[in-house]
Amino acid sequence: MRMPPFTLHTPENLAKALALANELDNFDWVAGGTDLLPNYKWHLNPKPNVISLAKVNELTALSGTVIGAMVRIHDLANSEDAHPLIRETAATIASVMIRRSATVGGNICLDTRCYWYNQTEEWRRSIDWCHKCDCDTEADCRVIPNQNTLCVATYQADLAAAFIALDATIHLASGAGARSMPFAEFFQLDGMTRNVLKPGELVTHVTLPEDAKNWQGAYQKLRLRETWDFPEAGVAAAWKLEGGKITGLRVATTGCESIPGDHSELAETAIVEWSGKDSIRELADGVRKAVKPVSNTYFPPAYRRKMLRVLTRRALAPLEHL
Amino acid sequence: MAKGYRQAPGKSGDKKRTDGKRVAGQQDFGVPGSGGSNPHSNLQDLDYVPESVGGWKKQPRGPHVHDRHITGMTIGKSVPLVDSNWKVTGQAEYGDDIRLQGELIGKILRSPHHYAKIRSIDVSAAEAMEGVFAVATGQDSVNKFGVLPVTKDEHAMAQDKVRHVGDLVACVCAIDEATAIEAMNAIIVDYEVLPSIHDMEDGLKDSEHPIHDRGKYHIGESNVQKRVFQQFGDLDGMKSAPFVHESDWETAGLHHGFTEPHAVVAHWDPAGRLTVWTPQQVPHYLHRGLSAVLDIPMHQINVHRTFVGGGFGGKSDPFPHEMCAAILARKSGRPVRINFDREEVYWINRGRHPSRIQMGVFADDEGRIAGIETDALIDGGAFASFGHVTTYYNGVLHTAPYEIGAFNYTGARVWTNKPASGAMRGHGAVNSRCAVEVGIDAVSEQMNVDPMTFRLANLLPPHSRTITGFRVTSTGMRECLAKVREQSGWDEKFRNLPLGKGIGVGCGFFISGSGLPIHWDPENFPHATVHLQCDMDGGVTVHTGAADIGQGSDTAVAQAVSEVLALPLDMIRIRSKESDTAPVDLGSYSSRVTFMNCNAAIKAACELRDKVMKAAWEITGYNPDVLVLGDRRIYYKHDPAVGVSWLEAVHKAQADVGSLIASGAYRTPPMGGVHKGAAAGLAPAYSFSAYVAEVDVDVETGFVKITKAWAAHDCGKALNPLAVKGQIIGSCHMGMGQVLSEEMKYGRDGHLMNPDLLDYKIMSVHEMPDVVPIIVESNDPEGPFGAKEAGEGPLLPILPAVCNAIYDAIGIRINELPVTPDRLHKRIEKHCRKIKVDDPLDLPVPRFEPGPLQQVLVERAEAHAKRDHLRDIQEDRSSYVNGVLFGFDPDKPMAEQKEGWREAVVPTPQDLADPSKRAARAWGHVERRHRGDE
Repeated sequence: MRMPPFTLHTPENLAKALALANELDNFDWVAGGTDLLPNYKWHLNPKPNVISLAKVNELTALSGTVIGAMVRIHDLANSEDAHPLIRETAATIASVMIRRSATVGGNICLDTRCYWYNQTEEWRRSIDWCHKCDCDTEADCRVIPNQNTLCVATYQADLAAAFIALDATIHLASGAGARSMPFAEFFQLDGMTRNVLKPGELVTHVTLPEDAKNWQGAYQKLRLRETWDFPEAGVAAAWKLEGGKITGLRVATTGCESIPGDHSELAETAIVEWSGKDSIRELADGVRKAVKPVSNTYFPPAYRRKMLRVLTRRALAPLEHL
Repeated sequence: MAKGYRQAPGKSGDKKRTDGKRVAGQQDFGVPGSGGSNPHSNLQDLDYVPESVGGWKKQPRGPHVHDRHITGMTIGKSVPLVDSNWKVTGQAEYGDDIRLQGELIGKILRSPHHYAKIRSIDVSAAEAMEGVFAVATGQDSVNKFGVLPVTKDEHAMAQDKVRHVGDLVACVCAIDEATAIEAMNAIIVDYEVLPSIHDMEDGLKDSEHPIHDRGKYHIGESNVQKRVFQQFGDLDGMKSAPFVHESDWETAGLHHGFTEPHAVVAHWDPAGRLTVWTPQQVPHYLHRGLSAVLDIPMHQINVHRTFVGGGFGGKSDPFPHEMCAAILARKSGRPVRINFDREEVYWINRGRHPSRIQMGVFADDEGRIAGIETDALIDGGAFASFGHVTTYYNGVLHTAPYEIGAFNYTGARVWTNKPASGAMRGHGAVNSRCAVEVGIDAVSEQMNVDPMTFRLANLLPPHSRTITGFRVTSTGMRECLAKVREQSGWDEKFRNLPLGKGIGVGCGFFISGSGLPIHWDPENFPHATVHLQCDMDGGVTVHTGAADIGQGSDTAVAQAVSEVLALPLDMIRIRSKESDTAPVDLGSYSSRVTFMNCNAAIKAACELRDKVMKAAWEITGYNPDVLVLGDRRIYYKHDPAVGVSWLEAVHKAQADVGSLIASGAYRTPPMGGVHKGAAAGLAPAYSFSAYVAEVDVDVETGFVKITKAWAAHDCGKALNPLAVKGQIIGSCHMGMGQVLSEEMKYGRDGHLMNPDLLDYKIMSVHEMPDVVPIIVESNDPEGPFGAKEAGEGPLLPILPAVCNAIYDAIGIRINELPVTPDRLHKRIEKHCRKIKVDDPLDLPVPRFEPGPLQQVLVERAEAHAKRDHLRDIQEDRSSYVNGVLFGFDPDKPMAEQKEGWREAVVPTPQDLADPSKRAARAWGHVERRHRGDE
């Protein structure tokens, strides 16, 4: 298995990186490389240029409310400053070895995955390619046949759910300047475009609201093996308790569709008249109904949906008796 | 008697060194044997010498024929594998580590279609490319091969058709990998796609384009590759039995998941001889295959086995890529290396067969197993591989360890357009064993008896015959069950645990070597041969063809030689890699190596020992009868001070006889029945095992976690307890993968969806339970020092133990493997609906109230324990056949004893009347030669 040749660029600071990005018209960013390089080895949309962010120091900030894109997942999981929910979520990502290399930005920008896409070149030739990597054949989607307009590959990054649950803001930068947006708005419902990043733009950091420390949360994740496997479904919940009452509740899902799901509206409705277990059950059912996974990962979609209900209930278990 | 060889007591000097080093001229003894980390030789380690020959080692099951060869050196001691230092320091050379000067890189062009005719192949563009040295296609390899001579259906590259995605079409070799890939992609193949078969039941039907054509031996127009029918015993009695459990099993195909992908290097040397370096379990059959495919005599081929990075049966076929490398090397005149990607490993496969097994277990009102009825349809994929044997094994390997009233087996293996299935650890026995053991658990529940007691009351005794005529010598089944029962706290836990927690038991039975070699052998050619040579340095070089695939066969044979000659292991050198220097050994399959190769090694070592002892006799003046072999020293039994060092004796022997060499061979004794297929499953000995597993089941998600396993395995005698425990724990891990997560998933269009280690879910260390390995030693009369196999048998019982534990935890009987969370969750939902429970957390748990049969079986088990002990120590030497429990006289032929007793291997129309039996449908076709075809 050979990686296709590419030119590696290693700019030393953000300005140089963004300038370089302006010059090159066909390139990929690489941070930890744990997602990009396996995909390159499988010849999944490789680019002739790769810009490494390894030497860019501006992206490694880590505090209670600011998390740089180049922070290693391992450091995040072991950071005393980071929010407990973020720490908990980070600690479930992949395996120790991968966490040592992988970064927060890489996890947020994780390429979507699909049984028909994450395969070797020879394998994909045997199915006549697919929409997401069609080798100029205009091939159809193999999950939902007879259409080649939408890619339904699954977004399987854990951190996104936790960031949405904590109402984080994502910050981007490009040669044209910086911009930021609520975390959930970063994503675009298509397995190929995935997010709002424009050519030459990158994620610089994520910030949490000032009162994030008053929020507690939990992350529940479905996967066959306790290490290594991507989430087949993930539910993050965060809540704020004041005087024994739930004054805020946010729920987000990942690993089920091409983008993470923000279910905070459902949650907000649920806390208006909170009745413990029953409310949790109702909310869990709502989440299950709101998410529609397709058959392109290890577990069948029906099972993943049903498990969303269980995972939501388990994430919200601390609120059972309120 | 030469001066200086006799110890002079008290004259060893005043100063005694304590650092283990010798003082020149002042040693206590004469020159000790060279080598060994300790310069001082020792007397025999009596702790390890059996009491039958004067040692202190207890022998609860009586003496063994090899007792007098035991010197207390290494047998029974936990020693690290002799090649482990190479591995842990990264110096072991695996297939991909071989580098030859001027080597080219070979790449294989594979089929993108499931099934297609090749209209044409255009290689001109590839050949014209710079850096490309040779291109080969099916035209360069017209000769067939296959691991079994009766079912040769493979070619190095496709002849006229490709039979599965990934089938080999052509190959190229070039100066580097990039050029080879480019050239491979430049080959233009014109295909005519044919309708492909993916479901194994479709393989039973007539087809317009059968995947293979076996000429007059072809079974109708179907894709049935092999069919088996065996009926033994009282079938009417079985059918009228009051307790019945019938279950329809579906088990997924598996891959071995070994670490090292296939890799091969081929080189034709200037003398015109071919050397092939490859991680092979069975170098000898590759040797034969290469000779057939390349049309050259075997003596022009040297098969060089590299270190093998895991085999488990997946490297035991001669492979087409090995032929490709040789063909390319011949065409290009340069060494050619082919390395596989992981995906190619899955395409060549040879893993466990996907199976559909209908299993009926019957018990009568006396608590006896009235019969086992099995119909097994197995999916062979595109080639025969070992499938002929697998089809038998799915049935015949569950005729023990229990005494059964009847055995009714129909089996069939079909070709489909998938990667070929083949032999995998526990070959053919695993799936049906799981079904039998779950069935036994279920009928015990119907009878209200403890499944442990039910098993103990129905075991075949030592020195008996199974219903189909297998000769069982030693069996430690009873002890295995007793030990896991006690250590797991079975009696307190069974049916007493809360919802979601369960405990289950399962047993296993496996061959210790295949009774007949794969290649039909009218001359009774030995199965294993070992040559020894000893030179001036006193060390012994062992030449053997046994393939060490990580299981430790080099260590086992070294231990056998070291034991007989009383030499430390570091004085034994193993040369087992090259067919040029190694005598033929049939290879590492069917768990045969320890049994057969160590027996050969003991014979060779005895011959060598006798030569050295004769020299010692001449030096010391004492007859070998009164001489004892200690550690590198031969001494007088009644005065250890009188003796001679190993090295001196070796020198004397060499002076006397010239070269000091010896040879030993092993062949199986004549045994078994005469019916068609009687040889399948026949073995010189059988291993037995019993496991208890404890599980946690999450009833809301369907996740199963094995929390602890007690694993008792009867390996006859643990030559190296460390290695045996390693095999038990490793088997647990592998079996656990099969029962909980591993499967080759095929997509709706028949594509293999998970040909990689991320989606082919091998359990990680996180999921690994605490395994308590328990070694049971039944002292096999024919095994080397009493040993039997420990490599495959230990895998079998973990599957049913887990399935039965899941039942104990949540009351659901498993009949589909693997028990992935989504599958189990579906079953839980269905079960909840059936018994009208809303929340799975409110599910009722099965409980146990002993019925009237329980006490009857307890008493029978106790009586049988006494019976077995007498047979073990050979106080009772009467014959025993399966059926005595049902009132038969063991000395009369079965058919004469009971009306209705059947022994049939050809079905009658009534036997096939049940349309729901799948494999039975294979008999609906008539073999072409019997239907009057030309």
